[in-house]
Amino acid sequence: MFEGLKKAFQKLSNTIKDKVEYKELKEDDVEEVLEDLKLDMIENDVAFDVAENIIENVKKELIGYKVKRGESVEDVIKDSLKNSIMKLMEYENNDIITKIKNKCSKNEPFVIVFLGINGVGKTTTIAKFSNVLKKNNISVVIAGADTFRAGAQEQIDVHAKRLDIPIIKGQYGGDPASVAYNAILYAKSRGICTVLIDTAGRMHSDVDLMEELKKIIRVTKPDMKVLVVDALTGNDAVEQARLFNDNIGIDAIIITKIDADVKGGVAISVSSITKKPIIYLGYGQSYEDLKKFDPKEYVNNLFD
Amino acid sequence: MVLEGLRNAVTKFLKGGSTYKDSVEEFIKDLQRELIKSDVNIKLVKELSENIKKKALEEEPPSGISRKEWFIKIVYDELSNLFGGDTTPDVEPKKIPWIILLVGVQGSGKTTTAGKLASFYVKKGYKVGLVAADTYRPGAYEQLKMLSNLSGAMFYGDQNNNKAEEISINGVEYFKNKNADIIIIDTAGRHGYGNEKSLLDEMRNISNKVKPDEVILVLDSSIGQKAFDLAKQFHETTPIGSIIVTKLDGTAKGGGVLSAIAATGARVKFIGTGEKIDELELFNPSKFVSRLLGLGDLDALLEKI
Ligand SMILES: Nc1nc2c(ncn2[C@@H]2O[C@H](COP(=O)(O)OP(=O)(O)OP(=O)(O)O)[C@@H](O)[C@H]2O)c(=O)[nH]1
Ligand SMILES: Nc1nc2c(ncn2[C@@H]2O[C@H](COP(=O)(O)OP(=O)(O)OP(=O)(O)O)[C@@H](O)[C@H]2O)c(=O)[nH]1
Ligand SMILES: [Mg+2]
Ligand SMILES: [Mg+2]
Repeated sequence: MFEGLKKAFQKLSNTIKDKVEYKELKEDDVEEVLEDLKLDMIENDVAFDVAENIIENVKKELIGYKVKRGESVEDVIKDSLKNSIMKLMEYENNDIITKIKNKCSKNEPFVIVFLGINGVGKTTTIAKFSNVLKKNNISVVIAGADTFRAGAQEQIDVHAKRLDIPIIKGQYGGDPASVAYNAILYAKSRGICTVLIDTAGRMHSDVDLMEELKKIIRVTKPDMKVLVVDALTGNDAVEQARLFNDNIGIDAIIITKIDADVKGGVAISVSSITKKPIIYLGYGQSYEDLKKFDPKEYVNNLFD
Repeated sequence: MVLEGLRNAVTKFLKGGSTYKDSVEEFIKDLQRELIKSDVNIKLVKELSENIKKKALEEEPPSGISRKEWFIKIVYDELSNLFGGDTTPDVEPKKIPWIILLVGVQGSGKTTTAGKLASFYVKKGYKVGLVAADTYRPGAYEQLKMLSNLSGAMFYGDQNNNKAEEISINGVEYFKNKNADIIIIDTAGRHGYGNEKSLLDEMRNISNKVKPDEVILVLDSSIGQKAFDLAKQFHETTPIGSIIVTKLDGTAKGGGVLSAIAATGARVKFIGTGEKIDELELFNPSKFVSRLLGLGDLDALLEKI
C-alpha cells in the first residue's frame, strides 16, 4: 500500500547526499532536489497545488538553515518535508467509537451522513462500518437514502441482511431526507445507538444535488458528516474536498480502494484542503476491509 | 477556475511582447503545468511538450498567420492526434450480433454505461440485449435490470449462478436466439492487484469464451496517475478496443484518458456526462482537448487559423 510515494521519498537519499556540503543552505542547494521531489509527489497523486505548497513551505524552512557539524543535509531536508506533511495530516481525531458510546449513554442516537461523488464507495463503506459497530456491540440502523440510482435500494438492503442490521428503505424517486428522518425516529423509539445515512452519489459541482444534500443535513442534524474519497482520484480530489467542505462542511474523511495498488498521495491532498481528519481506509470489498487511519504511521511509513 | 492560468497565458501569448522563442518556452511551462493538473501522465506531459516545442521552433507558419497562432494550432494538433484526429468515432456494429464486453475498475460506471449504450443503440433501431455478469456486487443484477427497462433493451441474468463466465455464455446464446443485433455484457468492477488476481482470470475467461467483438474500458475521468498501469493491466488481460470516459459532468479534466490511450492504443468512443440514461455523448476530440487545456473557445480560435 502507498508504495509509490514511499519509493519517491527513499530516492531522496540517493540524489542529495553528495550535492550539499555547505554549512548554510542556500536556495541553489535545495532548489533542484525540491523540484524533483515535487514532481515525485505529483507522480504519486498528491495534487499539483498541494505539492507546490508543501515544497514552498519546505524551501522557506530550509533556506538559511545552518547545517550543524555531523548533521546530514539529507536528514535536514527529510525532516523538514516530513514535518511539513505531518502538519497537514494531524487533525483532532477523537475516537469515533467513544463518541458514539458517549452519545448513546444519553439515550440519543449518533447520526452519521456519508457523502461523496458517484461510485467512490459510500454504500460499501457503510456496510463495513456497520460491521465495526457490530463487533463493538453498538447497535445500528441504516438509512437507505439513495432513492435515485438504479439498484441502490437493493444493494444496501443486501448488505443490511447479510450483516443482520435493521434498515429503513425508501422508494425510488422518493424524498431522501424523509427516509433519513424515519431512520432516526426508528433509532430513537428503539434505543438504537447509531444511524448511518447512505446518500446518493453526486457531483460536488451539481448545484441542485448539493441543495438536496443540504436538505438532508438540515432535517437530520447529523453528529458527523463523512466525505468518502476514492484513492485512485487525481487532482480532482482537491475540488471534491473543497466543494463538499465549503458547501456542506465535512467532519471527517474515509479513503477507499487503497487496495488498488494506489499511489497514496490523495490522503495528503484531501487533508491539506479540508483540514479534517482521515478516520478510516477501505482496502477491499469484504466487510473486514476497513481499518483505522493513523497519520503518524502513514507519514512514518513514507519516510522509512 | 483551475485552468484560468492557461487561458491567461494564451491571451498574453497572442498579444505578444516577448520574442517568439521566449514565448514558446514560457507557454510550454504553463502547458505542462495545466496538463499535469488535468491528470495527464507525467511522462506523457514531458514527451508531448518536447514534441510541441520542437515543432513550434522548427516549422514556419503559412503566410498571413502569426507565428503565435500557428503555435496554438501545433499544440492542438499534437493533442488531438492522440485521440485519432478529428474524425467522429465509428460506433456502428460491423457484424450482427455485435458483442460488447464492458470492463473497468470498481465504481467507474460500467453498469450505468451499459444502460446508456443500450439506450443509444435502441434509439438507432437496433435490438439490444444486456447481460448481467457481475456476480459480486450486491444489487448489480437489479441495477442492470432497471436500466434495461429504462432503455428498452432485453435483459438476461441468473441470480442462482455465481459463475460470471457461464452467465456470459448463456446470455450471449439467449440473445442470439432472440436475434439481438447488439449484446452488451456488464462485468464486475476489478483492479486486479493483490487479492484480485483471480478476477483478472475471470475476465480473461469470459473474453475467451464469448469472444467479444469489442472490449470497452470504462474509465472514471477523475482517475489520477494510476490510469496508465491500470489500463495496461486490463489491456494485457483482454485487449481493449475502445474507451468510454465517465463523469465528465464534474470538475475532473479527464487527463487520465491519455494514459489509457497510450497504454492500449484504443480509441475513445463516448463520454458520460451525467447519471441519466441519455447522458452519453459521442466523443469529440476538439471539445475534449479544449477541456483538457481549459480553453473554452478553442474551436473559434482554430477556425481563424
Ligand atoms: N477494491 C475495492 N473496491 C471497493 C472498495 N470500496 C468500495 N468498493 C467497490 O466500489 C464499487 C462502488 O462502491 P459503492 O459502495 O457502490 O459506491 P457508492 O459511493 O455508494 O456509489 P454510488 O452510490 O453509486 O455513488 C463497488 O463495486 C464496491 O464493491 C475498496 O475499498 N476496495
Ligand atoms: N455524474 C455522473 N455519474 C455517473 C456517470 N456514469 C456513471 N455514474 C455514476 O457512477 C456511479 C457508479 O456507477 P456504476 O455504473 O454503478 O459503476 P460500475 O462500474 O458498474 O461499478 P461496479 O459494478 O461496482 O464496479 C453511479 O452512481 C452512477 O450513477 C456520469 O457520466 N456522470
Ligand atoms: Mg451508494
Ligand atoms: Mg456495475
